[in-house]
Formats: sequence, C-alpha cells, structure tokens
Amino acid sequence: MLDTAFSIPLVALSDIGRVISLLVIGGGLLWILIRSLRAKEVDRRIVFLFIFIAVAAPILFPITFQERATLIVKRVFDKVESSPAGSKVLLAFDFDPAMAPEVQPMADAFSRHCLEKGHKVIFMTLWATGQALLTQSLERVVRGEYPDKLDGVDYINLGFKAGNENVLNIIVTDFRMMFPTDVNGVPLDSTSIFDDVKSCKDLDLIIAIGGGKPGVKEWVLYIGDRVNVPMAAGVAAVVAPQLYPYYPKQLLGLLGGVKGAAEYESELVKWYPHLKERGTPGLRMMGPQTLAHMVVMAFIVIGNISYFISRRRERIQ
Amino acid sequence: MRRSTIIVMAAVFGLFILSWILRSTSLASVQEHYLIGGLKVTFSAFLTLAILSFLYKDNPFYKFAEHLFVGISAAFWMSMGFWTTIVGNLIPRLSRSLSEFFQVPYQPGSYNFVYFIPVILGIMLLMRLSSKYGWFARWPLAFIVGTFAGLNFVRYLRSDFVEQVSATFVPLLVGWQGVGHFVSNFSLSASGQFVAIVGNWVIFLGVICGIIYFFFSKEHKGAFGAASRVGIWILMITFGASFGYTVMGRISLLVGRITFLFRDWLNLIS
Amino acid sequence: MKHKSLVILLFIFCAFTLSAAQEDAAPVDTVQVDSILPPAPVSMLTAKDGENDHGHSITLRWELSADDGAGQNSVLSYEIFRWVPFFMDTLQSIQDSLEQTEAYIAELRTFLPRAEKRLKEYRKRKKPKLVIVIFVDSTQFYEDTIAASKRLLPEYEEQLKQLRQWRKQAIDEIPQAHTSYPEQGEWRKVGTALSGQANFKDVGVKERKSHDYMADHTDYYYRVDAVTADPAIRASSEIVGPVQSYGQLFNTGRIPVFVAVLVFCLLTILFVTRARRGAELYVRPLAGIEAVDDAIGRATEMGKPILYVLGLGTAADIGTIASFTILGRVAKRVAEYQTKLIVPCYDPIVMTVAQETVKAAYLDAGRPDDYYEDIVYFVTQSQFAYVAAVNGTMLRELPATNMYMGVFFAESLILAETGALAGSIQIAGTDQVAQLPFFIVACDYTLIGEELYAASAYLGREPILLGSLKAQDYAKAAVIILAALGLLAASLDWTAFINLFSVTS
Repeated sequence: MLDTAFSIPLVALSDIGRVISLLVIGGGLLWILIRSLRAKEVDRRIVFLFIFIAVAAPILFPITFQERATLIVKRVFDKVESSPAGSKVLLAFDFDPAMAPEVQPMADAFSRHCLEKGHKVIFMTLWATGQALLTQSLERVVRGEYPDKLDGVDYINLGFKAGNENVLNIIVTDFRMMFPTDVNGVPLDSTSIFDDVKSCKDLDLIIAIGGGKPGVKEWVLYIGDRVNVPMAAGVAAVVAPQLYPYYPKQLLGLLGGVKGAAEYESELVKWYPHLKERGTPGLRMMGPQTLAHMVVMAFIVIGNISYFISRRRERIQ
Repeated sequence: MRRSTIIVMAAVFGLFILSWILRSTSLASVQEHYLIGGLKVTFSAFLTLAILSFLYKDNPFYKFAEHLFVGISAAFWMSMGFWTTIVGNLIPRLSRSLSEFFQVPYQPGSYNFVYFIPVILGIMLLMRLSSKYGWFARWPLAFIVGTFAGLNFVRYLRSDFVEQVSATFVPLLVGWQGVGHFVSNFSLSASGQFVAIVGNWVIFLGVICGIIYFFFSKEHKGAFGAASRVGIWILMITFGASFGYTVMGRISLLVGRITFLFRDWLNLIS
Repeated sequence: MKHKSLVILLFIFCAFTLSAAQEDAAPVDTVQVDSILPPAPVSMLTAKDGENDHGHSITLRWELSADDGAGQNSVLSYEIFRWVPFFMDTLQSIQDSLEQTEAYIAELRTFLPRAEKRLKEYRKRKKPKLVIVIFVDSTQFYEDTIAASKRLLPEYEEQLKQLRQWRKQAIDEIPQAHTSYPEQGEWRKVGTALSGQANFKDVGVKERKSHDYMADHTDYYYRVDAVTADPAIRASSEIVGPVQSYGQLFNTGRIPVFVAVLVFCLLTILFVTRARRGAELYVRPLAGIEAVDDAIGRATEMGKPILYVLGLGTAADIGTIASFTILGRVAKRVAEYQTKLIVPCYDPIVMTVAQETVKAAYLDAGRPDDYYEDIVYFVTQSQFAYVAAVNGTMLRELPATNMYMGVFFAESLILAETGALAGSIQIAGTDQVAQLPFFIVACDYTLIGEELYAASAYLGREPILLGSLKAQDYAKAAVIILAALGLLAASLDWTAFINLFSVTS
C-alpha cells in the first residue's frame, strides 16, 4: 500500500514530448500572428525554425495517422494483388539519393508485395545513381526478408544501362540487345525468369518509380503506349501533377510522394499484417509531414491576413 | 580572416572530431571498420548541416560543401560517363580485345561496324574545343537535334495529343436516369454521381479554357478574353495544387535528412 | 551443289533416326480415370496472320469448348499445337553445333594470349628457383597446349564457316520442308491458354539465326486441344491450315496518329510558306517579353550584370532551343548597352551552342571585341551542384536581372528564392509544369509553358518559328472542336466517333 501511495503514474515520455512540441508550435504561431497584426516583420529564419520544429518533433515523438488508399493508389495495389502468381513484373528504380526519402518506401513496398504474391520481378534502372539504391534495396528487402527467393528464378537485377530513353527504345522490342547479361554477368538466356520474355511486350506489369528524366513519362511514351502493357507509377510529389493526365487511360494508377507510399503501405499491411513489423517508413513520415503542412497552412493564412491588413492601412493613410 | 571566424571554425572542427570519436565508439560493437563508419556518418552530418547553414546566411562552411559537391559531382559524372557509356555500351560492340582489356563481355553482331559512326560523331563534337575546326561540331549537333525531334515527334503526338484528346471525350451527365433519380441518390462521396458529373464538367471546361489562354493568334477580348481569364484561373488553381504537392515533396526530403541526423548521427531514435 | 546434297543426306539420316526415337507429343497416362469424360473440343478454330506486325506470328481464335465454364465444366486449359517438320530438328542440331564451335573458338582466343604471356614470364626467369625446378613441366605444358590450340583454332574456324553455310542453306529450306505435311513431321506444343481464353498468338522472332525464328510465307498447321485436370483426357480440334505469316507495311492501328502527323505537318508547311512569303502573322503581346528590355536597361543603369540561366535541358529540348533565341536577343541588347552578361551552363553541348549564339549576337550588335569566352561557361552536370554554384554566383556578383529560360527541375525555387534575396528583378519562362508555380510566386514575370515558345517566335520573327506557332494555334482550334464533338459523342453514345481516336498498337 505504501508502494502504491508513493508510486508515480507512468506517462509515456513521447506523449509529453508531443504535447510540448504542439504547445511550442501553437504558441509560436500565435506570437507570429500577433506580430503580423502589429505590422512587425518576421524574420524568415523564424519561419525556417518553425518548419524545423514541426518536422523534428514528430520524428522524436512519433505521431502516426490512419491512412486509407484512394482509388488512384488502390488500382495499383489491386492489379499487383489480382495478377496470378508467376506474373512478370518489371520494377524500374529511376531515382537518385536526392529523391530516395520519398520514393524508396514505395519501391520497397512494391518489392515486398510482388514477392509475397510470388511474382517474377525484374529490377532495372535508367539512372546511374539508382544502381546503388537498387542494390541496397535488393540486399535489405529481397535477400534480407525473402532468402528463399532465387536470383535468376524469382527475381533478377539487370542493373543500370546508359542511354536514358534510348534504352527503352531498344528493350521495347529486344531486352537482350541492351541487357545481354544481368548485373552479375549471367547471360539472360541462362535464367529461367527470361525464358519466355523477349521484350517488354511479354511483361504482365511495369511499375516505373522515379521523378525526373528519364522517368515515368518516358516509360509511358516509349513503352506503355507502344506495347499496351499495364503500367503503374510511383513518383516524387513534385512530378505527380503532370502525370495525372495519363490516368486512368495510359497509367492504371499513380502513387504521388510520401502520401502515395503511405496509402500503399497501409493497404499492404491490411492484407499482409506480418509486413507491419518490417517497417512502414511511408506511414511513419506522414506524422512530420502533416504537422509541417499545418504549419505551412498557418503561415499562408497569417501572411494573407497580414497582407490584407497592411493594404487596408495604406488605403486609410 | 577575422578572429571570430577562426574561433567558429576551430569550434566546428573540434565538434567534428568529438562527434567522430563518439560515433565510432558506438559503432565499435556493431561494425568491423567502425572508424571509417563513424567518419562517414559524421562527415555526412557535417555536410548536411553546412548546406542547411545557408538558411542563416552564406558562410565558409556552406561554400566548402558547395565546392566539394561541385568538384566531386563533376568527377563522378565524368567517370560514370566513361565507364557506363563508352565502356558499357560502345566498347563491347567495337572490339573483342578492348572488351577483354576492360573486362566487359564482348557482344558480337553483324552490324557492329555501325558503332564506329557515333565514335566519329563524338570526336567531331570534341573538335568544338578547337577554334579553327570547331565548325565540325555542328554536324553531330544537327544529328542529335534532328534525331531526337524525329523520334519524339510521333511519340508525343500519340501519347500527349491523340490519347489526351480521346481522354477528353467524357459524358457531361454521368449515369443520367432523370432528375428524380439524381436527387434521390444525391451524395458527396468520391464515387457518387454528383462528384463524377462535376468532375467531367471541370475537365471539359478546364481543357477548353486552358487551350484558349494559350491561343496566340487572337487578342484576348470579349467572350474570348473571358474564356481566357477562366483558363488562367484554372491554371493558377492547378499550379497551387502542384505547389502544394511540391511542398510535400520538399518536406519529405527534409524529414529524410532530419531522420538521418537523429537516427544515424545522434542516435536519438531507433 | 555438293553442300546441298550433303544437307539433304543429313536430313534423311536425322529423319530416320528421329522417327525411330520420337515420343508421342501428347503424354498418355495408362491409368484410366472413369470419372472425367473427354470434354467437347473447341470449334470454329481459325488461324490468321498476326495483324499490324512485321510478320513471324499467327493469331488463332476459337469458340470455347462446351465444357469450359458450362456442361461438365472440366476444361482447365487449352494447349496449342503446331505441326513441325523433322527438318527443324536438323536445323536445331546445326545451330547447336555452331554455337558450341563458336564457344570453343572464343575460349581458345581468350586462352592463347594469356598462355603466351604466362609462357614468356616463365622463360624470362634467370635465377633458378625451387618453384621452377618443381614446375619445370609447366613450361612444357604451356608450350604443348599453345601448339595444340594453334593447330585446333584454324580447324574450328573452318568448321564454323562450314556450319554457317549449312545453317544458311537449312534456313532457306524451311518453307520447302513445311510442304511435307503431314508425313515428315509431328505435332508439337507451342503454347497454353487458360480456360475462358479464346485466342492465342504464336509469335516467333525475325532473326534468322535465332532458335525461335519463325519463317514468313511458310505453310503452318495448327490444332487446339481442350485439356482437363487429367492431361491424358483431352479433345483435339480440327486441324486448321495452311496459314502463312507475313509483315504488313502499314500499321492500321495507328491511323489516328498518322492523320494527326499529316494534318500537323501540312499546317506547319502551309504557315511557314506563308511567313516566308512575307505574310503578316499576328502574335499577341506577352508581358514577360516586354519586360525584358526594361530589365536590361535597369541592369545597365545600376552597373550590375545580367544573369541568364538556360536551365537543365539538353540541346534537343524544345525549351532550351526557345531559350537560345531569347538569349540571342538579350545578348544583342546587352552588347549594345555594354552590360556584363553571365551565362552559367549545365550541359556541355548547350554551352557550345550558347557560346555561338552570344558570339553571333555581339557581332550583330557591332561589338565583336567585347565578347570573351568566359561569358558562357560550363559549371557541372549535377543538378544541385549546378544550382549551388549559380546561387554562389548570384550572391557574389549581385546581378540586377536574372532570367531563367528553359527546362528546369527541382532547383527552380532555390534559384528564384536566392535571386529574390539578391534583390534582382526576375523573368522566368519554362515548359516544365511542375516548376511554374515557383517561378510565378518568386519571379516578377513568368512565361507559362507555350508562352516561352511564342516568345522565341515573337522576338526572333523567323518564318519557321512563326509558321510553327500558327500551326499549333490551328491544332488547338481543332482540339477545341474535337473536344466539343467528343463530349456530344460520349453523352449520346456515338462509339463510332470515339473509336476513330483509339490507337490500338
């Protein structure tokens, strides 16, 4: 009884951290609003500091939200899920380390989903800097989590080939002319995964992941529209808006930025709960993302209020 | 150099060494080459913070990181260009002995002699460096511009014109079964009839008015001007949405970097 | 003549051997399964040349078996069989021998120089070492092996030449061999279709040397078996054939694209011709371009340089090409006002073209001596390294005017923000939709998308540029009309009109 009387109720440190950070941000925004109403300038470095706190606090004290896949993401998921086991899926890792925080989570999610379904996955990249990221992904996800999958049978890494969209121009009719061997020097003819694959026409699904040039647009122009193979995309947020015109006719679905990655991960974890313990970086990133967006929205509102007030003041004067 | 600058630089250097020692110590039980591992993480964190310091003001650390990035990227791409394009694509088709020398698989073919043409064009392009024979470079440049234009002309017309025009053929009244049916089944859900109808109207009007804005052969007056103004509104709303998407992208990159600093460098999170 | 008879002799020998040793194409299970009755065969089987391709493919269509999804519901799959003459096995064995011989020759060619090098090293050693005493036979081994390899190499090369000739002759004989149906061949499975599937495309390759070569203008015969869970219980369709594959000169699935190309080309030629003849082609004024002259004047008054960024595109990108015209105009004004111009470049080829453009502009302005090479310089081909360097330039040189014209990507906002920080007036123009919001927000004037191309036509006044712009405008008018008609068609279900714009392959 003495123990119970003197025991301190245990409150998670992270809960305290969340509350403090929200109070700091809320208080700070209020202070900025008051300064703006008084027509006082706010140094841009204060804005940078706020963004830093809005991003750093949810990383230190995680805040997570429920995600639900929108139709544009669900169509990609459904296609991978409904394709029969053994379907040939090509994953193009057309991104560099600068884009990796956004698109790596979706690349990993696609790899896991395809391997869970027993699809035959062909990995390749059109970016020189994408090769290292592809190798890391293979080590971490494919070999690390699916050690029973065999190279050349269940998956294959074709690596990087210089030539940008001209590589696509060739593999649309003949893979072997551009990739006579895989990245380890094994001839494609001696791999079972390429037994009945001569060109992109023989694939069941192409998923282009990227955000620059060459990227999804080139895949649609050079491959998707030419051979009518179903094509999906996962892109960095900055290029997502310009790919919407291709949906739903030329692209069956599109994952835009971390939000798209989080939606795909939430759908994946719903169908394959055991994948949750392997990490959901997209879902984890939505906490700092959401808070930062709210801070940006608050700044836009405050900025506009300040603008209209100062205009009214000038008119009065 | 000012005294304060020297003090700051010394302090940063000291912090760098301290961070390296601490990081290496924490990696000692996990990695074999913990000193190198610690140096890599510390140096990455240092460069990240040096670039971010530009947000405060321009400083020697930012300049150092900028120049290091420029120099290394130039060398990286030169090396990449040689090993991936020349050694990866050209040499395996040109010569068996060269392929053996560079240890790449030789790709025999009946038409391999054709690959000497890009070699000649590439040399002609390099002659730009000579003031007397620089005019040689115009021919491969013309070839590059012409080939790309020819290759892309039909592709863009197909994917970005014909297919897009076809995608604009949307019915204005989706699943229309009369006013009564529309009112009785009214809902604001994304898959509902009302949203589908509004969406199609927006697509149609947006396409028409947007195209009118980019019409350069007529001055934008009267009804044409009104449609053009609707078009620019549609464009600005689109740009706003695109801007929001891009803000999300930039924040994601910041989240990635801060996660690296907190997890890999400072070990504050698992 | 001698080789032809040899080929025929070889064929007869192989045919005799194979016919004695051949297996039945369809496996026969000796166990009788009473519960599954043979299914109904497919009906209405047709075989036609594959459409809109370069040949080497046959498309099969059939009516589903009555027991596929109905009746007994016992059909699991369909197996497609093609009649293959025994002669194809002869060709296969020639191919295999050829590949083996090529591999031997490649091995010998790799081995010989290395062996000769190793032998040289052994012979050079002057001091007698234990290793040489123990392995003195190695030298002899290498000498013997090199001698044998040098003897074998020309033999293999001769054999390769012979085999290549036989292969060529055998490939030419393929159509002839297929006329020996049905005696000199057998049925072989070429593919499988799942239940519910009523078509199959038998696709070969056009490379004559490939194992999967499917000759055109050759008689092919097909049959389709409806197969149950027990592979032995099946029903074969009627045999269909002879059917020949051949390539089409024109892909009818792409007629809409062809019409669009034709119409657009005709419009462009028409308007370029009119522009060349001196017709006045109206282009509405653009705010961004009218501000260029003011911006250049501002820079001159302030005694500060003008920074012109061509973007991250290549010389083949349209945005970059339009930017060259604007650069030419800006450079000419800059030369007239004797203001400093800074043009940092991302792409080496763009740099060469920009140097030419600026040099020509200075010449036009009558100031060739004011031009120097460092006006236009290469920075780096790494995106963010480039922008870091340009930012540095902006903050050090503090230009009065920044112009961003061309293809930009993620670095656009960084550039525009830094320029605003440096206090420069900024005029931007890009066709990259993703970057337009940043330029619109951070710059004083922005040329949105096609306005960049219109600006280059407006400034350059070249007939080709003006004519193309006019053609584009007429194409836009056509799009508006088609969109309105398409709207009507979609609303009133005029599928014929909608299908006119459908591109199938």
